[in-house]
Parts: sequence; C-alpha cells; structure tokens
Amino acid sequence: MRVLVIDPDPARAALVAEGLDGVDPLEVRQAPVFDAVELAAFAPDIIVVACDSADRDTLESLREAGEANPRPVVMFADRSAPGLAEQAIRAGVAAYVVDGLAPGRVRPILEVAMTRFSLMQQLRGDLAKAKANLESRKVVDRAKGLLMKERGLDEDAAYRLLRKLAMDKGRPIGAVAADLLAFAGVLKGDGA
Amino acid sequence: MSALNLGFIPLTDCAPLIVAQAKGLFADEGLDVALSREASWATIRDKVAVGALDGAHMLAPMAIAATLGAGGDPVAMVAPLALNRNGSAITVSVALAQAMRQADPTAMAEGPVTARALAKVIARRRAGGAPLLTFAVVFPYSIHNYALRYWMAQGGVDPDRDIRLVVIPPPRMAEQLAAGVIDGFCVGAPWNAVAVSEGVGELLIRASDFWRGGPDKVFGMTRSWADANPDALQSALRALIAAAAWADAPANRDELVTLLARPEYVGVAPEAIAWALTDEIVFHAGDAGFPWRSHAAWFLSQMVRWGQVDAAADLTPGVEVYRPDLFRKAAASLGIAAPETDSRVEEALFDGVAFNPAGLRAYARGFPIGRLRA
Repeated sequence: MRVLVIDPDPARAALVAEGLDGVDPLEVRQAPVFDAVELAAFAPDIIVVACDSADRDTLESLREAGEANPRPVVMFADRSAPGLAEQAIRAGVAAYVVDGLAPGRVRPILEVAMTRFSLMQQLRGDLAKAKANLESRKVVDRAKGLLMKERGLDEDAAYRLLRKLAMDKGRPIGAVAADLLAFAGVLKGDGA
Repeated sequence: MSALNLGFIPLTDCAPLIVAQAKGLFADEGLDVALSREASWATIRDKVAVGALDGAHMLAPMAIAATLGAGGDPVAMVAPLALNRNGSAITVSVALAQAMRQADPTAMAEGPVTARALAKVIARRRAGGAPLLTFAVVFPYSIHNYALRYWMAQGGVDPDRDIRLVVIPPPRMAEQLAAGVIDGFCVGAPWNAVAVSEGVGELLIRASDFWRGGPDKVFGMTRSWADANPDALQSALRALIAAAAWADAPANRDELVTLLARPEYVGVAPEAIAWALTDEIVFHAGDAGFPWRSHAAWFLSQMVRWGQVDAAADLTPGVEVYRPDLFRKAAASLGIAAPETDSRVEEALFDGVAFNPAGLRAYARGFPIGRLRA
C-alpha cells in the first residue's frame, strides 16, 4: 500500500511518515505541496493531508475531473467506522482514499496520523512554554538588576521584592518584572 | 456571553467577520467570538460539519452541495446572510490576452468582454497541435467555477473539452500564472489585483460586469446548530449586518483596508485590498446581505447544467439552504428594512439573459453547452 502525506510542515510530515512505517507493508512519501505529476507517478492508495494545507481543495476537485486523472480519488467517508472522520478533522488531518481500498486498511493509517498530529502539537506547545519560561527568567533577572542598582538592594532582597509585588498584584512574577522594566524606561524618557 | 468559533478564508469578502470582531460588534451583542483563519474551503466545510466551527465564511454553492450530499456525505447547512456581492473576476496571462487581441480585436474591445476571442485562440491552437490551455478556479462548488464556465460556454468554449480546468488555492494563482502552469483563472478579491499589479495577468471581466447584483459568499452553519442556537445566531447576524454596513461606508474605507491587510487576516498589500473595494464589492447596500432564494436557485441551475447534481434530483432542499426568514428577523430588530419576497426574477447576466427561478430546470437544460446528467 502506498501512502502520500501532504503537509506544509516538514517536521510533522516526517513524524507521521515515521509512525506509519510500522503499519502494514507500506511505502510512504511526503510532500509539502500537492503536485499532479508526482501524484500520477506515485499512484497512492491513500493521501493523508494536513487541514492547514491549502491543497485540500485541489484534492477535493480530483473526484470531479476523473478523465484527466489516472486514479479517482474519493473523500474518506468510512461508514463502518462512525466518528473516525470527525475525530480526524478535529485532530487537524483529512484523508482521501482511492476508490476500492478496503475500509479496514484506512483506520490504522488515520489513527497513526491523528496520534502523530497531536504529538506534534504537544511538542510544539512544550517548546513554546519552555521558550516563554526562559524569556520570563531573563526579564526577572533584568528587573532584579534594576532594583539592585536603583534601590541599593542585594540580589536576594531584589528577588523577594519582586515576588512580593507579584503576590500583592496576583500576577506572574515575569509580568510584574516586565511592567517594572517598562515603567523604568518611561521614567528615563524612552518611548515618550 | 455565548462563545462562538467562526472560520474564514483570507479573502477581501471575509470583511464583515473581521470588522464585527475588530470593532467590537460581536462583543456588543454579547458574543465571545474566536475567529479561525483556515487554509481551504474543504476544511471550512468539514470543521463546520463536525462542530469544530459553529459557523463560517462560505462559498454559497458549497453549503448547497453539502446539504444535497454532492461530493460527500450530506450535512444540512443553512445560509441566513449573504456576506457580499461581486468581487471575483476572470484574469488571463498577459500572453493569452495578447493572443486573444490578435485573434479577434473587435471582440476584445467590446464591454463586457466575451469568450469569442478565446474560442478563436483555442481553434488556432488545436489546428497547430498545441496542448490545451489550463484555467483554474478555487473549488468545484463555487461562483468562480460557474461564472468561468458560463462565460466560456457563452462564447462557444466548452470548459470540459476545449480547456483543462483545475483547482488551485487563491494565494497561488498569481505565481502559477507567472510560471505558465495556468493560462487564466477566476478567483475572488484580492487575487486578481495581485496578479495584475505583479504584471503577470490581465483582467478580462469582473463579477459586476458578469452579473450586476450577482451573489458571492455567505455566512453559513449547519442547520442543527442554527436550530439549537437561535439566539446566538440572531446576535451574530445583527453584528455581521452592522459590520457589513460599516464596511460599505466610504468614510471607513482606509481603516477597513488597513485592517484586512494585516497578516492575521488577508495578509496582502493594502493597495491590492483597496482595488476591489472601489466600485466592485458591496457588503450591505441594496439589500446585499439578503439571501435571495433565487440566488440559491441559480447556483442549482448551474450544478444541474454541469452534471454535479442529477437533473431529476429534488432541488428544493438546496434552495431552502438560503434562509431569508432568519435574515429578516435580524434586520427587523436593527430597524433595517428587508425584502418581503424570498425570490425574484434576477437581473440579466452579461449576455442579456435574465434568470427566473420559476423556470430553473428549463433554464438549466436550455444552454447549448452543458453536461446534463439525467
């Protein structure tokens, strides 16, 4: 069975392709955009496409233009597995199955794709959070430095003051530190 | 506050949704709206169908096709508001425009331009053994597909035999035209202006010349959502009608252009956005928001004509996707007058033929070029 993964996000496509490697006898190819010539040459049995790819509308139209295309493509609509297509759309992935492929062979592929899509989303979320934490630590360090300089505090005292401000305001320490730096900038005449 | 997830495609005619959000009109109606920019019409349709989106900027024929189960499993949709009139256009490559002028200078000098010159170019190419010209539209169930097909067939070009017709996402149209992959397209604003301003295309006919007052996008959702959330729907309609009126006002033009040009919305140069907002797209004036059932009927006539829908099929559920009753209710609560009839004899298209919804089937069968599927 041949599977074509179309995903503008190459890292995610690689993750999906790697996951599919364990399913069935498969040949998996990935492409960032749809290409009619490549499609004809590879002749996939199933096309897995990211919902954030603009190529879905092109794939959708292939059903209509049967003559011009070597293989008819139909949208995934597996009545034997109610809810599967819905879950897939919610996970951000759609699939087009070439007419005649047994529904039982579609399910494991789509399940792998869905799992990998959510894994990618989680990884990206973790990365964004780690970056935000790092950024917040830098801001806190700068605010500490400012307090040490302006108020003659030592490092521990500067940090305790920031933490108290944060608790009094009920806001994250990074946000309080950012405010402090912004106000200090205004007092010095920046952005005025 | 009711929380709503609404989807849009980056096109100039998504303006009412963007304006309602940015100017706080949704919030004024007690709605907490999250706008989601989507990359394809198929994803808009599917996300609305499964409830990942509550409503969206939609191609009107897509909502009708989904309801009839054309091209997929049937999901009943409703369209209680037309988002705009006009905005799309047919553009061809500079080379093809030159070949058309050379083949028939008289036809090319007429206004509106017909496909007569294109028919001559195609005949010459065929005689010379050249490959078929390729044209692109944005979706099989779209005003763009039907307008391009109608315009071509009126000039004697059979869109299924004399050219190759493909679907390409709007943002890629100009580059594909420049690269010679396609020779022409029918797409919505701002993408014709982008191709023209980049010097790769020449615009032949605008929607307002093709069919003055003709339909374009709608605000659509599933019928089950509309039935289950009548108050939220009315609130959303009021906000969108107010936003459409705001978007029409010349005094707001510059602010609208700046807003739409932002990368999170349409994300193209302000000049390209401004282009179709001048004497082309109408959001509100002249009952532009009213979902005329005669517009739904015209779309159905073309779906039948081109074999997307069986000629013997019951078309009533398709016409009833348009919900003038829901529009009237929202308009009345805003003190805005709305037409009292659901349907009308439409203004003539560029060929001088008016559409009367009462004769839908005869109209669909009456074209010399078509793919009627009985």
